[in-house]
This record gives sequence, structure tokens and C-alpha cells, in this order.
Amino acid sequence: MKNGKFDVLIIGAGAYGLSCAWWMAKRRSGARILVVDEGEFASGASGRNGAGFRMQWGLDLNIRLCQESTQFFENAAEHLDYPRGIELKQDGYLVLAHSEKAMTTLRGSLEIQHRYGVPSELFSAEDCIRMVPALGRNRLVGGTFCGKDGTISPFLLLDSLLKACRRENVDVRYGTRVEKLERFGGGFNVRFRDGVIEADKILLCTDWAVPELLASLGISLPVKSLPKEAIVTVPCAPRVKPILISLEHHISVNQVSRGSIIFVVSRAREGQEIASTPDFLAFAAPKVIDLLPGVADVPVLRTWGGVSSLTPDMQPILGETEIEGLYVAVSSFRGLMTSPAVGRIMSALILENDTNDPVLTQLTPRRFQTGNLIMEPLLNQE
Amino acid sequence: MQRSLAVIGAGPAGMAAAIEAVRRGCRVTIIDEAVRPGGQIFRQAHPALRGEEFAEPAELARKHRLLAEFQGVSSKIDYRGEASVYAVFPNGEIHLAQGDATEVLRPDAIILATGVREQVIPFPGWTTPGVMFAGGAQSILKAHRVVPGTNVVIAGCGPLPLIVAAQILRAGGRVAALASLRSLSAMLHHVRGLWHGREIVREGLRYAWTVRRAKVPLLTGYMPVRAIGTERLEAVVLARVDQEGRLLSGSERRIDCDLLAINYGFVANSELAAMAGSEMRRDPVAGGWIPVTDTYGRTSVPGVFVAGDGAGLRGALVAECDGTIVGAAAAMPSSAVDGPTLRAELADAMARRARHLEFQKAVRATLQLPIALWRTVTDETIVCRCENVRFGEIRGALEGGHHSLNAIKRNVRSGMGWCGGRSCLHSVAALTELATGAAPTEMMTPRPMVRPVSFAAIARQRKVEAR
Repeated sequence: MKNGKFDVLIIGAGAYGLSCAWWMAKRRSGARILVVDEGEFASGASGRNGAGFRMQWGLDLNIRLCQESTQFFENAAEHLDYPRGIELKQDGYLVLAHSEKAMTTLRGSLEIQHRYGVPSELFSAEDCIRMVPALGRNRLVGGTFCGKDGTISPFLLLDSLLKACRRENVDVRYGTRVEKLERFGGGFNVRFRDGVIEADKILLCTDWAVPELLASLGISLPVKSLPKEAIVTVPCAPRVKPILISLEHHISVNQVSRGSIIFVVSRAREGQEIASTPDFLAFAAPKVIDLLPGVADVPVLRTWGGVSSLTPDMQPILGETEIEGLYVAVSSFRGLMTSPAVGRIMSALILENDTNDPVLTQLTPRRFQTGNLIMEPLLNQE
Repeated sequence: MQRSLAVIGAGPAGMAAAIEAVRRGCRVTIIDEAVRPGGQIFRQAHPALRGEEFAEPAELARKHRLLAEFQGVSSKIDYRGEASVYAVFPNGEIHLAQGDATEVLRPDAIILATGVREQVIPFPGWTTPGVMFAGGAQSILKAHRVVPGTNVVIAGCGPLPLIVAAQILRAGGRVAALASLRSLSAMLHHVRGLWHGREIVREGLRYAWTVRRAKVPLLTGYMPVRAIGTERLEAVVLARVDQEGRLLSGSERRIDCDLLAINYGFVANSELAAMAGSEMRRDPVAGGWIPVTDTYGRTSVPGVFVAGDGAGLRGALVAECDGTIVGAAAAMPSSAVDGPTLRAELADAMARRARHLEFQKAVRATLQLPIALWRTVTDETIVCRCENVRFGEIRGALEGGHHSLNAIKRNVRSGMGWCGGRSCLHSVAALTELATGAAPTEMMTPRPMVRPVSFAAIARQRKVEAR
């Protein structure tokens, strides 16, 4: 790497890192921006998720981040000058409740969604089964549905962002690991295996790996890593039109346009291991069959793993840390679907010191010291 | 306590390993996707089917001797036919599917004897029904005593196309042409190897005589450039290529056929070894990415061994000796393998293996494919047949700076389909090397499942704690 001076160094070239870089380059042309990633293209959590985006949340901040991002996805080909498009599909999300308690949560969330104009609706168990006949009736109480929620191709979003960044002269480098991070003058000195650069500001977009980088500067954030595993089936006839989330099965289901069905299954685990675990399928299969008896005969094609970040309130962390010029954007497992809005907000904060977006107050890294935490109710997480 | 051993694959390497391990007192489970043992080379037909005379008597003698030997110890072997191993994990677990259920085995040692699959240099139309691998056509002949076409063109490199052509003729089929990239006379430079393999050479000459007597047109230096036919294969266009991969203008020849059997070398079935965590290396002629093994077939993962072609293409004779050696090593506690005793006991098998390996050097010369040959792949040519990915898309990803197989896969889906990249792995690697000047260092990450298995079968899982 050539030694050099940059206005902003972004560490992590996932959806957050690339989106922030692109928004910064758009906001200030001529800004010297470097993005580094120790892995290769799409090898982290942004390329290993269930590919969905939704506006059905129970908290205003998540609803607003996702509303803005959904609008971006709807016009991504144009925004990013990527004629191929990002395989946007808006067949809706059906969030399922298998207990009265979960149903009450859904009703409460629906009210908040309607306040922000999200076109979501309440479904009875019968409505759910009418929409997805493969669903099991076992304990099913009902759900909420929003037809504007949907999926994109994570790979194409990342590729379109990467190409757009490079067009704007953002320097994006894969296989590049930060060896050392230290404060220098008003900015930072960053050492790589093959060179040292100076950066006025640094934005950490390494998600669950943020604590490691912060520790080298003597500060900490309560970010944990949460490994998740996913299953994709062979292509089969359409059985699941909308994306399903079952709050109690801890499963999300997405049948992609090629016919394959993707299941993301969560279980309480810690670690940073992306390999599939030996007992995962035997753990997941009975849950899948209980949720969707209609897919029991479908062959599983492959499994894969990914790691997402987990914060104490299960909310993202966006903002400047206690070190001036050092920023973080941690997704808490919704990086792909919030990346457009987060890119805009973080670029305004970093380049123009614009702190007006209320999300920044709610998601500041400082909230863990004040203890002002609000949990998101609509998560299939434990 | 009795040592337990699982052998995956019941070809020559797997059978020999199982026989040896049983003799040494192990409890052996052998898992194979076929109903009966034998593998590709010694594939068995249903016992009621007769007429195996298309093969050379010496080859049949080897087959029936090994099968009889295996039969002799079969009462002590748990043979799992029509069973697929869909994952091997670094913790030593084998996950297999059989019938409508799955099972987890946890043996003391695992021998992967999964062999090789065939390779294609893609050309427009190669996915048309009626185009198949030469070894695939041969399998149909061996297992069902049926020639899978009435008018056959065979194309490829190495000895297999000649053997398949001769066997199809002997079984009563018609061969319209045999197109070899290179004459088998390349083997003549390896006098020592030919001497060590003289038995096999003799069989080869007899096959060559069969082809010659039938006056099969021999098109040396030709390869298929287009398959014609939509619903079914109607004809193939062959053309002459030079060493730079350029098609010589005016050399195109259209030949009517309803079966085109191709074989451009072999790719190791090394996904399970990689999944188990073994260190891998790349050797395109020996099978692409292959596990790093030592003389006893030990991989970098304790307790995981590889025997036969899966550790590098070396043919059935080496595979059988290799199976004996690896079976013996896997039957011992790991601390006992390196002592002088085992080496002395295996001296004979090791000497035989070394002799057959000499012959393989000669065979290897016929399997060298200059990377420039991949220039014949056009933008419209399908490279990944599961996801219908054409080379033009892959070229786009390469030009976009995505040079690793995983990155290309994420961009254009080559390798994301049903086969998990087993069909296109080598093609994408070769095309990347041609485009960028450097072969990719890593294979596409193999992940469970190697074979698709239903949720219902996974939910019906039996766990066997062998220890």
C-alpha cells in the first residue's frame, strides 16, 4: 500500500462501509476516502444474511431507517447507475405469532407502524394460512403483513455500491488488514502490513469485530458476536410467497425468485465461527417442519453460517466515540436493510458534523453510559 | 476396544482399505452411493444381467478378484449401499443419508475414497441431452449393459475415450468418430513407465485394435466446438485447435450423432476432505484441488485419511495398493503408524504402488491440457450448468476485479446451484487463470450438503456413538 493521507478511512467493506463511503463521495466530491477490508468481496455478514428488508418494526427509529432504505432499494439501479438492478422483490413480510403474547406485541407494533404510514395489516391465523398454505396450524395465532417489505440480492447491492464507489474515486481494498491504529496529531496513523497511512477521521464498520479495534485505542463498546446459520433448499414450486418471520421459532423464511427457500435459524450461541456446525441441521429441521409442514419433503441444498453483531439493546450503534474523529456504525443484525439510510446519516455526521437526525441521539455510542436503552420488540432473537 | 473405521466410497481404494482394516481387527462401515460395491471402474450390473465381454479379460479378472476378496470379508463389514455422505465435519462426524432417514457416525478414523469425477471444456450446447461424460456412458454400459446411444462420437484426452470407444463397439454400438486432443503416443516418451505398466499397455493396444478394425475415423487434435440439437443431440461440430487454443479456420467438421461422450481429464471429489478441514493443494492434471496427504494417506486432520484417486489421479491399480496401505495405517492407533513394523508389513504393497505410479507418469503426459485451450470458451458458452451461468457473465465479474472463486460465485452464482460447484469449479478456475494470468489459490468453500437431503430425512436422524 502506498503511504498517503486520507480524509476518511473506513474499515470494513460490507453494506455499511460501502454505503457510507459512497454517500461521502457524493456529498463531497474530491474527498479522499479509503475503504479497507481484511476479507474478500461480500465475505462478511453483508453477504451471509437472509437478504430481506422490512419496515415492520416496533420502534420508530428502526421504522424510519428502513422506510428510507426501502425507498432507496426501490430506485437502486438509478441511484447507483447499475442497470442490472439488485433483484428487488416486494412480496411482503408476514410476521407470525404463535402465542397471545406475541400477538399483543404485533398489535402494538402495528400501531406505531401506522403512525409512520407503513402499509402493514393485521392477519388472523386463517389469513396467514390462506396466504401461505404450507404453514402449520400448530399454535398459530395470527400475524402482521406488509406488502412493501421484500428482498434484494445482497451480492448485487454490494457489487453496485463497490462499482459506484470506485467511479467516485473511492479507494476500496480487500485482503487488507489493519495492523495498528494510533492517534496522531488531530487524526490517526494506521499501519498495514505493507504501509502506513494518515487519516483525519476513521469510521469502523466491522460490526461484531469493532471492540477489537477499539481496544487498541483503549476504549470499549458492549458489542458481542452472534453466529447464525442458514439453510437453502433446492429450487421448488412456489410455496412461500412473502418472507416469513416466526418470533417463537426464531426462524425467517425467504423463497427467492429462483425457487430456493432460505431459512435463517437463530439459536443462543456465542463466537465468531462462520462454519456450519455439525448439530445445526438436526436442531433446525424439526423447527422448520413445525413451522412449515409443507416443506418437509423439500431437499436441503446447502447450509452456511454468518456472524452478526449483538448490542445490549439489540439496536445499532451510530455516532462518534469518546475519541474525537473516531466513528462507529454497528448494525446489530440489520445492516443490509438499513445501509442506505445509515450511509446518508453517517456521511452527514462525519463530513458536515450534522447531528440533526434524531436517530443519532437514540443510537449514540454514549447511551451505554447513560443507561438509556430501548429494546426492539419485533425480533426473533433471544 | 475394537477400533471403528468408516470408509466413504467402495471403489478399488475403498474396498482394499476395508479389507485390510477388517483383517487387522477393525469394525468397518463402508458407505457408497451405488447398490453394489465396485465404484466407477469396477461397477457391477444387477446379477441377472449377463455379457460383460466388452471389457478386457485381464481387467475383468482384476475386478472379480477384488470383488471376491471383498465378498470374503463382507460378513464383517457394515456395507451401506445407496447411501450418501452429505457432510464430514472437523470434529470427526460423518453425516449420511440412506433411504428416508439420516445418520451420524463418529468412527475412530475416516478413510475418504471418493475418487474423481470427469471434466469438460465447455462449448456451446454441451448441456444438450445426449452429451455426457465418457465415463458416464461407460457406467451405463457396465451397470445396465446398454449403449446409451445408437451413433456415438467420443471426444477427449487421455486413455479413457479410446477405451470407451472400443467398449461401445464391442457391445454392438456404432462409433462415428473418436476425437483425441493429442495422440496417446505422447506416452512413448515414458519408456520406464510403459514397462512397469506393460499389462495395461497390452490391454490398451487391444482396445486400440478394436477401434482400428471398426475403421472409426480418428480426429486427432480436434475438439467439440458446438453441439447441435435442442430437445436432443443431433450432431456435433468438431474443429482442430492449436496449442494456443486457436481454432484452425476451415477445420470444422459436422458429424451426426445422438450421443457425444466427452472426457477432458478428472477432478478429485475432494469436497469432503476440504469440509473436514484438510489442508489442500492444487494440481490441475491430478484432479484440481486435492488434499495434502503423506505416504499413509494421512491428511492434516488427525483421523482423516484419503485413499485412491481422491488424493490425486493415479488410476485403479494404484488406488487398490493405496487402499491397502491407507487401510492398514487407519487401523492402527495413530502413535503406531510411523514405527518400522507397519512399513515392513506394507513393503510389498508399497513396492507395487510405486511400480504402478511409474506407469501413471506416462498416462499423465496425455492428460496435460494447455490453459490456452480454454480460449475456445465463448461468451455465450454455459460454464455453470446448474445456474445457467455463461462465460460472458464470469468475464464481467473478472473484469470487475473479482478474482477468487468465492467472489465470482457471489457475483454471478457459478457454483451456487444443485451441484455446489462440482461441475464448474475447474472451469471457472481455468478461465480465471487464463484471464488474469494467475490461478485462484482457494477452491470454492465446500459446505454441507454435498448431496441434497430433505428436512424430513434430517429430522429422522440416528446418532451412533461408536466410541
